[in-house]
Amino acid sequence: MAGTSMKDIKLRIKSVESTMQITKAMQLVATSKLRRAKERMEMSRPYADIAQQAVYTASLSCDDPSIAYLQKQPEKKACYIIIAGERGLAGGYNNNLFKAHLAHAEGKEYCVLPIGRKAIEKYHRLNVPVLSDEYAAVEGLSVSRCYLISNMLLEKFHAGEFGDLYLVYTSFKSMMSQEVDIRQLLPVVPEEGAKKEKPVSTVYDPGAKEVLETVMPDYLAGTLYSALCNSFLSEVASRRSAMDSATKNAGEMINDLKLRFNRARQGAITQEITEIVAGAEQ
Amino acid sequence: MATTFHLQIVTPDKPVFDGQAEKIILRTITGDACILAKHIDYAAPLGIGEARVTDESGNTRTAACNGGLVSVADGEVRVIATTFEWEDEIDLERAKRSQADAEEKLRLLNPQDVNYAVLEAKLKRALLRIKVSE
Repeated sequence: MAGTSMKDIKLRIKSVESTMQITKAMQLVATSKLRRAKERMEMSRPYADIAQQAVYTASLSCDDPSIAYLQKQPEKKACYIIIAGERGLAGGYNNNLFKAHLAHAEGKEYCVLPIGRKAIEKYHRLNVPVLSDEYAAVEGLSVSRCYLISNMLLEKFHAGEFGDLYLVYTSFKSMMSQEVDIRQLLPVVPEEGAKKEKPVSTVYDPGAKEVLETVMPDYLAGTLYSALCNSFLSEVASRRSAMDSATKNAGEMINDLKLRFNRARQGAITQEITEIVAGAEQ
Repeated sequence: MATTFHLQIVTPDKPVFDGQAEKIILRTITGDACILAKHIDYAAPLGIGEARVTDESGNTRTAACNGGLVSVADGEVRVIATTFEWEDEIDLERAKRSQADAEEKLRLLNPQDVNYAVLEAKLKRALLRIKVSE
């Protein structure tokens, strides 16, 4: 009878069943959030792409050394915007992100702006300087809040608090795969493979410098918003698949336990019969 | 029929317009600019002002446009606006409330205050929305 009584197995089945109910409910919630999150992500993409392109083009036309946005300042520390989740139970979503960030930041002196409750907790635990811990919510973060963050960061950048700005977020590739992405936002460095030659004939009104300087807060806010949408979608997708496999596992476990329960019951009956028969024979 | 160009208007939370247009008039920080097809490559920051878009069938729509950038590259016109609301999408009630709120606060504030410019911009946006929607 494998050492466990029928009562124990029955209790186990009950507890696994209630866990399964929870994972199932979380999966359903994630599924229903998924569609809206996907829509939001798709809506946010054009702005981020176009703003990025505009910043890159403008940066190529500026060779003015007085523009702080283009200067490499290796002596200053770096700043990371970390977008993680609000809650756990999303598979490796939060952990993968932290791992990728810590590998990237190794040996550097840096501060972080954590977004999402998990990120805030993590970096407080690591004793890393944290710029602000008021951004615990990811889901409801609006465009105007992104502008506040962007202005706050630029203010600190101009005050010389950091020289490089990186964005660490999870980019949504598909329902099954989400990848951690680390992007350098400041100083502005056009991505590999982008057009490198200087656009010759563009007219900047009043000047390339002004254009770059005015578009910068928009670029940061737009990129941030789009990264937030991507991250939130990734979180939901990753939670859904984690909860899906948890529900499946729970189902398997229940089947297994039921089998053991039946075996135990059968064993008990056989034993009783044996005892009765033995009693009658005497 | 006039020649048209490809116009894209985007805001952070959603694309607003993507299609052929005949003409667009925008308020840049140095003044109003009108862009027609075959415009030279161009980029300018946007101020707070009215935007008029004439689409390929000749209909003109007005919108309240606030902040961002207009860029023309290889005949593609892109407007990257902080907010861009067509006249029929504007929440007039909200704009009026925000106007009253900004005026109220500005009265109490010294023009040297750091928040003065912020509130002034808020008032400008509210007035623009009211003007465009009426």
